[in-house]
Amino acid sequence: MRRKSHREDDGHAEIDLAPMLDFIMNLLIFFIITTSFVKQTGVKVTQQEAYTAEYKENGNILIAIRPNGDIWMDRRRVTLPEVRATIERMHAERPEDAVIITADKMAENGVLVKVMDQVRAGGIESVSLATQPQAGG
Amino acid sequence: MRMKRHSGGGEEGGEAGIDLAPMLDFVMNLLIFFIITAVFVKEVGFSLSRPAASAQSTPQDKKNESKTLYIVLHNGGEVSIDKRPIDVRAVRANVERFKAENPEGPVIVVASSKSATGTLVQVMDQVRLGGVFNVSIASTGG
Repeated sequence: MRRKSHREDDGHAEIDLAPMLDFIMNLLIFFIITTSFVKQTGVKVTQQEAYTAEYKENGNILIAIRPNGDIWMDRRRVTLPEVRATIERMHAERPEDAVIITADKMAENGVLVKVMDQVRAGGIESVSLATQPQAGG
Repeated sequence: MRMKRHSGGGEEGGEAGIDLAPMLDFVMNLLIFFIITAVFVKEVGFSLSRPAASAQSTPQDKKNESKTLYIVLHNGGEVSIDKRPIDVRAVRANVERFKAENPEGPVIVVASSKSATGTLVQVMDQVRLGGVFNVSIASTGG
């Protein structure tokens, strides 16, 4: 037994799992971080409740409209012309993404319609208005 | 001391080392969990659409097509149909009557630019409860 004592640290016949573990750990961290592929708006709004709301597929781009008319997307405040530019960029990156507008229930419809037109000008036709699902509805 | 420890695990390898396999299994499970839940962030809502070009055609053309129901939202949140002010909850009955007469007819919500989005959602909800899903939004007084 003592004869083998000068052998190096690594095992011989065994596969070393550590590099694989590192790699998987990296993958894991990547997925945890990119779970928010959904472009969160960064602000909280109060939505109106509705009975007939339905789930929206591919609704990955969120635009929030605050009661005072501020528009938020991608965690920062944007102006109306910036909406179009941002939508064009996001549409180029992931063409299948749809837009969901989360407007506060006190927000003005004029802003909503303007944002909608900007989104459509940016190339995305599928626009939805987010609502709160009715409790027990 | 050092030599003693290493001398023991020479044959099968890894008596003294930590077995990484269970940790690997656990991490793999976590990985799969995050991959699956990555798409689960979802919002509920309505599809928004703008009136089609045909809805803005001249009155002469419109005779041939199905009629359109215009619901007007005023600044203060009042709702009116055909210049007749109605309650938000009465929209559904009006839409049902309209649908019985014009099964294919679209509904256009004409929202004043100062009216609140909450009212718009309530009206759209009522229209959809009334059975018409072809709702589009126009804006006035921009």
